[in-house]
Amino acid sequence: MRPVLADLRQSVSDWIFRAAIPEAPPVTLGQRRIFILPTRQGYAFALMLLLLLLASINYNLSLGFLLTFLLGSMAGVGMLHTWRNLAHLRLKPGRCEPVFAGETAAFAVTIESPSLTRFAIGLRRRGEEAVHGDVRVEEPAALAIAVPTQRRGRIRCGRLEVFTRYPIGLFHAWSYLEFDLSVTVYPRPDPTAGSPPNTGSDASEEGIPIAGDEEFNMLRAYRAGDPPRQIAWKALAREQELLTKEFSAMASSELWIDWNDARGPDVEARLSILVQWVLKAEEYGQAYGLRVPGTVVAADRGEAHRARCLETLALFEVPR
Amino acid sequence: MSAPAYSPHLDIRNVLWLLASMLFVVAPHLLRLPYWVGIFFVVVVGWRAWISWSAIRFPPRLVVATITIAATVGTFLQYGRITGREGGVTLLVVMAALKLLEMRTQREVALSIYLGFFLVLTNFLFSQTIPLGLYLLACVWIFTGTLIGFNRMGRAASVGERLKPAAALLAQALPLMAAFFLLFPRVPGPLWALPRDTLSGRTGLSDSMTPGRISELIKSDAVAFRVRFDGPRPPYATLYWRGPVLTILDGNTWRAARAPSVFDRYAAASRPVQYEVIEEPSERNQLFALDAPAAPPRESIITSDLEIRTRRPISEPRRYTMTSWLDYKYGADENPAVLREASAYDPARNPRTVALGREWAAQSRDPREIVARAVRLFNRQFTYTLEPPPLDPRDPYDDFLFNTRRGFCEHYAGSFALLMRAAGIPARVVTGYQGGEVNPFNGEIIVRQADAHAWTEIWLRGEGWVRVDPTAAVSPLRVEEGVNAALGPIGVLPTIIAADRLGLLASVRFGWQVINGRWEQWVVGYDTERQRDFFARLGYPSVDWRTLGFWLLVATFAIGGAVTLGLLVRERPRREEASLVAWNRFCAKLAAAGLARAPHEGPLDYLARVKAAKPELAANAEEITRRYIAARYGPGASREELRDLAGRVREFRAA
Repeated sequence: MRPVLADLRQSVSDWIFRAAIPEAPPVTLGQRRIFILPTRQGYAFALMLLLLLLASINYNLSLGFLLTFLLGSMAGVGMLHTWRNLAHLRLKPGRCEPVFAGETAAFAVTIESPSLTRFAIGLRRRGEEAVHGDVRVEEPAALAIAVPTQRRGRIRCGRLEVFTRYPIGLFHAWSYLEFDLSVTVYPRPDPTAGSPPNTGSDASEEGIPIAGDEEFNMLRAYRAGDPPRQIAWKALAREQELLTKEFSAMASSELWIDWNDARGPDVEARLSILVQWVLKAEEYGQAYGLRVPGTVVAADRGEAHRARCLETLALFEVPR
Repeated sequence: MSAPAYSPHLDIRNVLWLLASMLFVVAPHLLRLPYWVGIFFVVVVGWRAWISWSAIRFPPRLVVATITIAATVGTFLQYGRITGREGGVTLLVVMAALKLLEMRTQREVALSIYLGFFLVLTNFLFSQTIPLGLYLLACVWIFTGTLIGFNRMGRAASVGERLKPAAALLAQALPLMAAFFLLFPRVPGPLWALPRDTLSGRTGLSDSMTPGRISELIKSDAVAFRVRFDGPRPPYATLYWRGPVLTILDGNTWRAARAPSVFDRYAAASRPVQYEVIEEPSERNQLFALDAPAAPPRESIITSDLEIRTRRPISEPRRYTMTSWLDYKYGADENPAVLREASAYDPARNPRTVALGREWAAQSRDPREIVARAVRLFNRQFTYTLEPPPLDPRDPYDDFLFNTRRGFCEHYAGSFALLMRAAGIPARVVTGYQGGEVNPFNGEIIVRQADAHAWTEIWLRGEGWVRVDPTAAVSPLRVEEGVNAALGPIGVLPTIIAADRLGLLASVRFGWQVINGRWEQWVVGYDTERQRDFFARLGYPSVDWRTLGFWLLVATFAIGGAVTLGLLVRERPRREEASLVAWNRFCAKLAAAGLARAPHEGPLDYLARVKAAKPELAANAEEITRRYIAARYGPGASREELRDLAGRVREFRAA
């Protein structure tokens, strides 16, 4: 009986609140899409008003009547304030940075207020903890919902609820957002995987240093874009100029990270190894390519390339 | 900027605000309740502050439960019960303090704040004056600010960020509150039995008089009632406000007749006076009127001894309009049983007084002659004083008439009535008030407990009851100018009130009395009757709850609509925003013509591009851009400048 009821409630709620068509940002919260209902505290407040009224009648307290009506009217005005605190907000999806499985992803939403500072604006996914923030005029605020991740793939944010109870907490005003927000979750890197093996078909004759080799061959002048971890901080500390450590591996031209080289008990383990290799390869600053069944990413280097490789691994055999 | 998740841990500043609000609202109670309640409250509040301050543990539930039981027992031991005004309020204060010790979550905070609002109400059980009202309004303000602070969801709010929105909320709530106050159908209370001690502490005349009772009363400057005459005020010396009539002499105590019958009619009556009385709550079934009342107000009767008795005790200020006859003849055909009662005395007590009365009766058959002798006696040898020497408890009237000869109205009235009875003339004591204080601003007369008075009535064959005030013989000033004048420069009121009658202080005081009178009349005393009056003035002679409900609905929608509109007007984009709206429209027109502004492009860069692409638009586009920059980034544009900008954009054609 209960699941049926729950389903029914869900579908009614979906029908009332017009579910699930992603909308083009930015979304402005017009009056038609803001809902408002008393909170549990609001009902308790109403009960208190009733008690105040009864006491006023019974003891003939004119000032008691004044108090009761003042608080009652204040609750009414408070409802308008709560509604106004949400009304006309402009919302845009923010940047959702990819994360590795096991890390915490964040769905960000940027909120702008056209007028008045809005206090305690909350954002949450259905059934999850909310985050709160204030939005000042002409200072867009970003609220980010933290989502712990377990597995690789892509997490869709789904429906978001933006709400407020400010100023008096007796009313809950809310609206739903259907942004097409998603976060890519890369497979968890396998720290035991070491460095990528030297199996590249285009490897140079000298070969590539084997795994774990942290020795560098030479120092060269810093060039914009060199990763910070390769900067020779010790040299800098000795008041030399900014130098970059060049590892021997970098000397070779291309490295291929291949599905077939990764040995693991299952797909996920192999993907973890591949991710680790991609990270290492990028760290060495060497051009590298990725080969997994069904996809080949041409050799390259840089942030964008790394992201492409990791995304390929994240979405490997994930049904779209 | 990303917001951290809201932590349920209560912010120390919010907690301190709540504790301060609680202290404010409970403070007036602490002066009234037993001292241990105050100590308990302050200690518990301090404890709770310490818990938040040092992030120490909350007391275990068992400890809180033990304290709760102990406090309940303490209350019971103090009052013998835990209901009633003092007991109930004590218990509520104690529980509110203990609730603070358990307050961990937002929901419990809300509960504590609601308890605080309830504590505001309990203050009104004790007093409903203007100063206390204002003080408690401030408390409600602070509580609302506290509530707002908690609803910032973990972000610290400054004092202004609490009090300003709280003030706005309350100010915007005032019109609706006023409408509800005027229109909400008033049910005459009480809904359930009032605890007995609500009646305690009210001063006023009672149904008996022993020497000393009225002189206690006379030290109180509490207001008994206020009077406003429709026409000119009758002479001061005629202002006898009739109250309990004491016919039975029981030992040395004068008591009211047990069950007086209902008044019949006056044999003759003239010099009518019309006036309105607002009587303060006395918890007695007595209304006061000028001697003698013509007809009873609603829900009351006039008894055969010309008292006005109400069905229910006066537990809230009551307003009534009255007509009185200053000259009247009444009681010539008085019931013989009443006359017998009015002639009875115990010859064993006060033997010398009784002997004197009998002696006068033997010397003269004319009652008027006997009265004249008594008046002459008082006139010659007696002194009017509030601090009479103590009297012999067994024969006090003997002691007074023959030894001390210093006394107050009750001594004169009591001994005079006894003398008359001994002389064979039926006599009784009438208590009430005499005179009052005339407010020069509005002509209102304020009658205080200090104006309490006792006089006598004797019964003359063929004439009925006749008023004789023996005090007037001793101290004519008492009757002609009031009790303060009679007592000389020292006065009865120990305050500055008595010393200064015409100076600046007096006018401030009288002005305050006018305000206070309005407050008593229109706020504290606003009841079913007032509500009916109010509607009668609006042209609804008979108003029922349906009419009230209808107007309440109308008022709620009208005021609610006005407040909503007011809030929405403030919601409208500000002036700088108006320039932005115009600029966006300008860009949209150009975009439609194929010249969309790139998101990163500033107004001047965009203008340069537009000029290059469409030289024919250059002049207009330049004008608009210049004005937009001035309005948006300049020191602030006037309304006209904005209108001009909007107009130019409207007329701008990009194609």
